[in-house]
Amino acid sequence: MKAFSFPVLLFVFFATGCAHSPDPAVSLAPPVAPPQIQHVLVVSDPVQVPPKPPEVPVKSETKNVDDYGDIEVLEKASEEARPQIADPLEPFNRAMYHFNDKLYFWLFKPVAQGYQKVVPEVARIGVSNFFTNLGFPVRFVNSLLQADFSGATTEVGRFLLNTLCGMGGLFDPASHEEINLAKQEKDLGQTLGSYGLGQGLFIIWPILGPSSPRDTVGMVGDLFLHPLTYLNNPWYAGTAAKGYRKVNDASFKIGDYESLKEAAIDPYVAIRDAYVQYRMNRVKKATFGK
Amino acid sequence: MKRPIVALNLIMLLLFSIPVYAGPPLDAVQSNVNKVLEVLRDPALKANVAMAKEIKKEKLRLIYERMFDDVELSKRALAKNWNSLNVAQRQEFVLLFRQVLEKAYVDKILAYTDEKIVFDRETMVSGTQAEVQTKIVTASKEIPISYRVLLKDGAWKVYDVVIENVSLVLNYRTQFNDILAKNTPEQLLEILRKKVKGQ
Repeated sequence: MKAFSFPVLLFVFFATGCAHSPDPAVSLAPPVAPPQIQHVLVVSDPVQVPPKPPEVPVKSETKNVDDYGDIEVLEKASEEARPQIADPLEPFNRAMYHFNDKLYFWLFKPVAQGYQKVVPEVARIGVSNFFTNLGFPVRFVNSLLQADFSGATTEVGRFLLNTLCGMGGLFDPASHEEINLAKQEKDLGQTLGSYGLGQGLFIIWPILGPSSPRDTVGMVGDLFLHPLTYLNNPWYAGTAAKGYRKVNDASFKIGDYESLKEAAIDPYVAIRDAYVQYRMNRVKKATFGK
Repeated sequence: MKRPIVALNLIMLLLFSIPVYAGPPLDAVQSNVNKVLEVLRDPALKANVAMAKEIKKEKLRLIYERMFDDVELSKRALAKNWNSLNVAQRQEFVLLFRQVLEKAYVDKILAYTDEKIVFDRETMVSGTQAEVQTKIVTASKEIPISYRVLLKDGAWKVYDVVIENVSLVLNYRTQFNDILAKNTPEQLLEILRKKVKGQ
């Protein structure tokens, strides 16, 4: 019985995890990352706005006098720079979105809530730290692949310190202010993005959640670097451990997906956009540093 | 011998821990966030649950008005679509959008339980635009939140909030764009009216 329930949990939690925190990467944007988003729609900054003929007749009032006047058409150029993703699979994706949504509310959420009630927060944080520590090879190798040598060094320091002085990774002394070795958020999808590979198109996998061809390749590649993948005696041990990790992580985020959904006018589009923005920023960080 | 050294260290510490210079954008955001926290922590509003919640919401609305630039927020969320709404529609949109945001976030804000809020720094984008970086620190995680602010009529007002690298305004822009590609502005307003009213 247990043997089966764990893989199922795993799936469930993969889905949830993805639903709340769009993980992986993006950017249709060419290697040259999009210019700062802040500038996208500069309505009232005359300095950076090259005078362009407005598409729509501009009202005679100036902006300050009438806030509700037309906006000058500056978005044209910036609109293209803004993170977007092709979505030719939209009907399939929407179906998968609904599937994952139901899975979350009917399965993952109740399980995570039960777990949260039974296990005290300190213990859950310890578990979370432990699994994070275990993922060291993924972050280390990707730091190297991104030629981020200080990041790689930081990861080695963290791993040694947390493993030796943090009771095998249950504690995270490396993140304390005095030591300040912060976890490097690195993954293969991001690495590929930093090489200039775009997202391609948007896919929602059942259970696994939002992704793209690039990030899917990244996800599979990272699996090879993760120690849990090699935990296969019995065969379901690795899967069970990953499933447990997902449940544990989800116990900190109950409600996140709900608020995202509640805030959205069209939750599917909101999630797609959040995923794209989130991954694009990850890639931008990998490409240009912090 | 030891004492003077300790004292000296203390003096040094005090000297060097004088708050780093923070510019007006950060100050503006910080003072507004502090006002929000005051409302949330107000012990007088802890009792009488239902009433207290309404009073808090009313107070938060007042702070919101001073802190945010409603119209700018709407303009940026609609982007080029702003121009395809007539003035009356624009005015209604601003009101509706604000209610959508309130509905979505007020309970989250009211659920605040003494998490630490850290004001990291501000980055000037131009003379009249800046980004203020903050984070919410809880036992299990850190949530980075940036406020994008604009100087208008002498006050720094928020026109976008970026949570975990996801810009609120851009997220809504994608949604509005998508809806307006298939619907008229009037239909968009109808969707928002329904959203505000209930489910």
